[in-house]
Amino acid sequence: MSVKEKLKRVLIEDLNLEDVEPDEITDDMALFGEGLGLDSLDAVELVVIVQKHFGVEIKDMEEGRPALQTISTLAKFIEDRLA
Amino acid sequence: MSSSNSRAARKARREWTSRSIGSGWQHQSFYLMIRFGGRRAAYLLLYPVVFYYVLLPSVRQKCRYYLERRFPGGGAWARFKNSYRMTLELGKVLVDRALVGILGPQQVKVSLHGQQDLLALLAEKKGLILVNAHVGCWQVAMSALGFMETPVNLLMQREEGDIDRHYFEHAGIECPYRIIDPRGFLGGALEMIEVLKRGEVLSVMGDRMLGKDRNGVDVSFLGGQVRMPFSAYKLASATGAPIVALFSYKTGPDSYELKLYRTIRVPHDLGRGHDVFVPYVREFSATLETFCSEHPFQFFNFFDMWQNSVAESDPEPDSLT
Repeated sequence: MSVKEKLKRVLIEDLNLEDVEPDEITDDMALFGEGLGLDSLDAVELVVIVQKHFGVEIKDMEEGRPALQTISTLAKFIEDRLA
Repeated sequence: MSSSNSRAARKARREWTSRSIGSGWQHQSFYLMIRFGGRRAAYLLLYPVVFYYVLLPSVRQKCRYYLERRFPGGGAWARFKNSYRMTLELGKVLVDRALVGILGPQQVKVSLHGQQDLLALLAEKKGLILVNAHVGCWQVAMSALGFMETPVNLLMQREEGDIDRHYFEHAGIECPYRIIDPRGFLGGALEMIEVLKRGEVLSVMGDRMLGKDRNGVDVSFLGGQVRMPFSAYKLASATGAPIVALFSYKTGPDSYELKLYRTIRVPHDLGRGHDVFVPYVREFSATLETFCSEHPFQFFNFFDMWQNSVAESDPEPDSLT
């Protein structure tokens, strides 16, 4: 399973995104606001999820801001850290 | 929550602002009194000014929301007297804050209760979340936290057009705390996680909603339901940081105390739901009730906190508070 696929699955499960299927989440879908519809409190949860499921830590704003834009940017961030 | 209640809540929010009372020249008058006559001169001016303001029905109404719950059943004279005392205490706090900035920190003595407990919590190396409230004079009292030798970060939103100045602005020095703006990227969430991961101190207000109401939960407070933010408890759950309810209060003309009222431990990984945080927010509201019973006139929320639960669709900025 690719990082993107796993990411979509854990987001749905851990954020309890009701009535959303993994294939309904597009790679360029924005995580916050319009798109997946997450909010600032979910950002806290998202940082925990990434660490828990991928062992990757989002340490600060500098790396968090570009990573937490879309599924693609977050998946790339995780892949880069795992490489 | 009915739609009429939601409308009332929205109306109450529109009417309320955290901007300071009084115009620029009135504030300048107090600063002038402080410069040339110190605290005593500023307080002398304060008594008639407060009396004038309390004659205004709008000012008494702003006091009444809280006072009716703290002192139920009082007559008109008692309500007027209590409004005067509450407004006077706020005035003194504002004078003291300016006094520290203009004449120096030696103008106010701050004693801390719970220093060893704070050091023990910091030694856990998980950061520390100070949950404050709009009581006493937190800006002055925070000066007593220097012993921690750890950077203190404040989540703080400045109202546009606020003419009231913080003590460090009076003193012309750099702000001693790092300010995290809740209007920043993701409501400052990443910055707050970052400082806690570094083992630093994060200070937030726990008694007042600033952003979306869905970032709050309803808890009982002084006989009614109020909505209080749960972001601090969510951060604690995500990072393992302990929470302390830390309140300040004025004890004399030139003295304050800062007291650690309660340590709140939030279990790790509580998840996304709102309701799981209710017990911890309730601990905080119960602690705030204790404060109000001990220092009834040093509680400074001049709006109807009990008009809560704005509809989910309320178009307010996304913020962690």
